[in-house]
Amino acid sequence: MAAKEILELAPLDLFWAYGALLLAAALAWFCRIGQARDLLWGSLRMVLQLLAVGYALRWIFAASHPLPTLLMLLVMCGFALQIMVGRLRHKLPGFYRIVSLSLFAGCGGVTLYFCLLVVVPSPWYEPRYLIPLAGMIIGNSINGACLAVERLVAEMTERKAEIETALCLGASPRSACQEPLRKAFRAALLPTINTMAAMGVVFLPGMMTGQILSGTDPLIAVKYQIAIMCAIVGSVALTSAVLLLQAYRAYFTDAHQLRY
Amino acid sequence: MVAASESVLQLNGLGKIRRNEQGKEVPVLRDVDLTLQAGRITVVIGPSGGGKSTLVRLLNRLEEPSSGQVLLNGQDVRHYDPLQLRRQVALVAQKPFVFNGTVLHNLQRPFAFQGHTLPTEDDPQLLELLTLCQLSTDWLQRDARSLSVGQQQRLCLARSLVTGPKVLLLDEPTSALDRPTVTRLADSLREVCYKRRLAMLLVTHDLHLAKIIADQLAYLEDGRILEQGLPAELFARPRSIALQSFLALPAGMQD
Repeated sequence: MAAKEILELAPLDLFWAYGALLLAAALAWFCRIGQARDLLWGSLRMVLQLLAVGYALRWIFAASHPLPTLLMLLVMCGFALQIMVGRLRHKLPGFYRIVSLSLFAGCGGVTLYFCLLVVVPSPWYEPRYLIPLAGMIIGNSINGACLAVERLVAEMTERKAEIETALCLGASPRSACQEPLRKAFRAALLPTINTMAAMGVVFLPGMMTGQILSGTDPLIAVKYQIAIMCAIVGSVALTSAVLLLQAYRAYFTDAHQLRY
Repeated sequence: MVAASESVLQLNGLGKIRRNEQGKEVPVLRDVDLTLQAGRITVVIGPSGGGKSTLVRLLNRLEEPSSGQVLLNGQDVRHYDPLQLRRQVALVAQKPFVFNGTVLHNLQRPFAFQGHTLPTEDDPQLLELLTLCQLSTDWLQRDARSLSVGQQQRLCLARSLVTGPKVLLLDEPTSALDRPTVTRLADSLREVCYKRRLAMLLVTHDLHLAKIIADQLAYLEDGRILEQGLPAELFARPRSIALQSFLALPAGMQD
């Protein structure tokens, strides 16, 4: 890279950075909001997780072999699933099958598309590109997917009378819950749309900031940001759509009866 | 009354067991036999919680019976495609649900659901049906949710009939209506039933409605049909003590 070398953070620098966090913890303790402990515990987890990932990535980059890269992607997907379990447990019947399939189709599909047409790393598994791209795509997609499911569950419960009325009028389950599906899809896309609208003017997105900090020309960073944002929107939409189109079925029997 | 009607919907030994909140299995319906005939109105009366709503929901397969079977034109309803079954066996729920939008939009929804072209505002059949259900043809562009409950109920009735079902099931159609409105609705129902040769089942605890509308009457209590026959006979000479005491309750207290 043509730009200047990035400033290295010494352990002492990090210690001072941690000071800001301790300030927050002190404030939380002082105001008795009961979150000081959570805050410290959360920060400890963050440090450990990031350090682990840092070492793992260094090893994967050095190995430069498709296997560790794919393994890393698999681990990321596992954690994504884990996070979704935490948010959606007991809510969606047939959870694992539906969610893994939609994550695979949405995130996998868009990541593949992206690597074949947009960024085209060489070799194809180049972890320096593949892992952060997939990470951002998966991270945003699980958020959208969770919102979609939460909304669907709420709508399906609330609109029972409407759905049964439609069934009685000869509607298929799919058209009977068209409104819940629409609402859920909208809920999934909304945060991403808002983020796009605020991008650049309100906040500088993390990836772009990172690239700029590491000395990349801001215009290159911006181009990457635009591309990744498009990938995120596509993946959120695809993941949520595949998820919703399976999830609503879990509410009906083969005889088009609403399960309670 | 129409003589020599053919049977359209037949209930054979229908039973339903439900799990209550304590997880115990409770029979809601036991061994119900009933036959609905074209052009005739069958009324099932009985106290609330006696299994009437459940009975109706089993007939268009919104729920599955635990035992027995339902035959539509001699064939088990389980052998029908659920879409086709519900297009032939219409159900109007106790609480009318109208879709957001105009009256016309509500009447078009069944066509949209069933993949037919939508009728327009001046469709003669649509206007005829509106009149039959005592809804003004000027209301087509009105917001359906601005109608009174009684009007909404008649709209739901019209909406269920608009695609021409063979069987009509009505769950407590008069629960929210006053006496004159009930009488008017009963007139509409009779006319619809005879004109379209519908097999109609109406479940209610409203004895007044049962008296003025039933061609055939059955008394359901505690999930069992205790008596059935011609309404005049049942009202004049109830055999079971349960029906005797049900009929003896002052009007409006049968609930």
